Amino acid sequence: MRVRRLTAACAALGLVALAGCSSEAGNDATAPDATVPVEEEVQFDEGTTMAELAEAGAITVGTKFDQPGFGLVSPDGVPEGFDVEIAKIIAAKLGIAPEDIEWVETISANREPFLQQGQVDMVAATYTINDDRKELIDFAGPYYVAGQDIMVAAGNPLGVEGEESLADIRVCSVNGSTPAGYVQENYPDADLTLFDEYSLCAEALKNDQVDAVTTDNVILTSFVAQDPEAFELVDNPFTEEPYGIGIPKGDDDFRTFINDVLEESFEDGSWAAAWDATAGAITGAPAPEPPAVDRY
Amino acid sequence: MQALLDNLDRLWSGFLTTLGMSVAAAVIATILGTILAAFRVSPLPPLRALGATYVQLVRNTPLTAVFFIVIFGLPAVDVTFQNFFIAAIVALSVYTAAFVCEVVRSGINSVSTGQAEAARAIGLTFGQSLRDVVLPQAFRSVVPPLGNLWIALVKNSAIAGGGFAVADIAQLAPSLARDNPAQVLAIFGGIALAYMVITVPSGIAVGVIERRTAILR
Amino acid sequence: MSSDQATRTKQPLVALAGVNKWFGDLQVLKDINLDIANGEVIVVIGPSGSGKSTLCRCINRLEGVQQGEIRLDGVLLPEEGKALARLRSEVGMVFQSFNLFAHKTILENVTLGPIKVRKVRKAEAEQRGRLLLERVGIAEQADKFPAQLSGGQQQRAAIARALAMEPKVLLFDEPTSALDPEMINEVLDVMTSLAREGMTMVVVTHEMGFARKAADRVVFMDHGKIVEEATPETFFTNPRSDRAKDFLSKILTH
Ligand SMILES: Nc1ncnc2c1ncn2[C@@H]1O[C@H](COP(=O)(O)OP(=O)(O)O)[C@@H](O)[C@H]1O
Ligand SMILES: [Mg+2]
Repeated sequence: MRVRRLTAACAALGLVALAGCSSEAGNDATAPDATVPVEEEVQFDEGTTMAELAEAGAITVGTKFDQPGFGLVSPDGVPEGFDVEIAKIIAAKLGIAPEDIEWVETISANREPFLQQGQVDMVAATYTINDDRKELIDFAGPYYVAGQDIMVAAGNPLGVEGEESLADIRVCSVNGSTPAGYVQENYPDADLTLFDEYSLCAEALKNDQVDAVTTDNVILTSFVAQDPEAFELVDNPFTEEPYGIGIPKGDDDFRTFINDVLEESFEDGSWAAAWDATAGAITGAPAPEPPAVDRY
Repeated sequence: MQALLDNLDRLWSGFLTTLGMSVAAAVIATILGTILAAFRVSPLPPLRALGATYVQLVRNTPLTAVFFIVIFGLPAVDVTFQNFFIAAIVALSVYTAAFVCEVVRSGINSVSTGQAEAARAIGLTFGQSLRDVVLPQAFRSVVPPLGNLWIALVKNSAIAGGGFAVADIAQLAPSLARDNPAQVLAIFGGIALAYMVITVPSGIAVGVIERRTAILR
Repeated sequence: MSSDQATRTKQPLVALAGVNKWFGDLQVLKDINLDIANGEVIVVIGPSGSGKSTLCRCINRLEGVQQGEIRLDGVLLPEEGKALARLRSEVGMVFQSFNLFAHKTILENVTLGPIKVRKVRKAEAEQRGRLLLERVGIAEQADKFPAQLSGGQQQRAAIARALAMEPKVLLFDEPTSALDPEMINEVLDVMTSLAREGMTMVVVTHEMGFARKAADRVVFMDHGKIVEEATPETFFTNPRSDRAKDFLSKILTH
């Protein structure tokens, strides 16, 4: 919905070359095939989620549709990005081919309800693991650790160095997001502007309507990569955002299974290949060291 | 529920923002829409064309696109607003005026042509006959549809907070939901209730005004 | 004023010359030539659809014409805008369906024009308005709304509204056709006394009694043309054209 609405707005305007209006980044960055071969024969214990999914031969995955490099929907309706590739690796180990994955758009506010109500089997959507959320759902992973950072206009005219500057500048983030919460919590008097999409924050930064955009560095890097003339990353992350795979609460077998798959992908190179084909292709940065999964 | 009670101050300030934004936009949209309606029934073809074009253009554009154009499109042609709150009022006014125009125009058409002819026959100009004779009579028949537009406007204002940087009640919901994931339903329910605090009494007021003005005839 | 008066009596107050009007393909006025002198009362008569109303509406330019000239006091009718509004304020009109302003009291109906167009002060306009209402015999209805009055009272109020502008000429388009029979005379009486006081009037009506009593001239129209002009006496007793004869025989037998 959100992406489509924005696209309509772009079409109506026809004048703003807006990051959110193009999905080029995602297109270029996506490998044509899954990095991992789909398992032919799979065997799971009776009654487990894995057995059910393998039996059905299909899985429903919630992901972002508007996040370049992680989950950005292409014109044909299929999302592309690092989150998407990780979900494909998990599906492959369940014997489910990429075309049998049903993608559902999840936004920050609806991930828990979607998992609790069974509208999705799992969520891979730049989903920060935290304790509040763990009371409602469970997390496998992390499979990546991002950090909150700041993006400013190219040349950094105000000389922003790190999070301390947030108190003195007009800063933009997405309403209801963890990074916005961090600002509200730690800099309650900050001049905080909240849109519902980072691409709008980027546009506001371009128009000098705000001085900075703050969110996870991976998101900011893709904006900088798309428009290095306009943007610059401060590159001084001040939080740790471990991204996990969200699953319904209490499904420990499924969680263990996903953790195993993730660790396997860290070792066999498929994780790094997924990175290089997606987020890495946008920023040009090599794959980082994979994090350690947290089997709580 | 607790999440709402713990944040009553933010809820209240968001509520006032929603109310202020809506009232300001309603006033501007009513004035602008009435002027546009006058254009649409004017004896001068260029004015008629201008009114019709405005309505067609704006009415067929999604409100989010109007917001987008006002906030990000206009700066490209050097039209900027002091802050996002004012920009939101502009977007809501521009959008709602198209609908007000059509409501007022149909109200004007509901007044018999003899009234306007008699007004012109005693020497009132087009503008005077509209203001002193036709519009006051059209008013009664436009109260209910204008009331509907007002209620739609209040709810449409949520787009400003939901997407476009205005700290209204709608903007509060996602951050409260983030900080209290277990109370999501109560939070959104409470937000919906806050809108009803504005819209339900408005609906009742419209009914009262309609009955009061009925005595005129 | 007096020298002005002199020229006015020489030149017609209202002059229509070679007027043609079409509604789409339908020609509703055909080569109309008509001069109306100051103080003259003209009754326009003719079958339905012959163009009588249109003629009236063209004189105060509620309708425009495609060909020909219409002058008031020697001045061509203006096209649109303020000048036209000013002209209309000098030409009063009384409609078949009264068209009183439904949301205003009778007194407000009468004072609206003077206050808005003539910029007369409200108190003064109300004082004159009450006098006019007295003159048409409905002083006690001043503070009621139109819907609370009978048809005859409404039409008299409409006449007072027109008179409040002190017009040079008054147009009446079938002023009694929408009235119940018992109310027709109260309106005609007002009109007759106006005629007697020297008001210039163009009256579309089929009331023979009024025509005989008050009219200086009868104009008979058919199919958009002026077919015959004569004094009331001549016209009713001895019409020249067959169409007038035919028409009179019909309305007299009914
Ligand atoms: N606004 C109009 N549009 C089209 N035709 C009209 C209009 N007004 C009058 N007519 C036509 O013009 C002709 C003359 O009408 P009108 O002047 O009302 O006649 P009368 O008053 O003598 O009955 C009729 O044929 C009528 O149908
Ligand atoms: Mg007629």
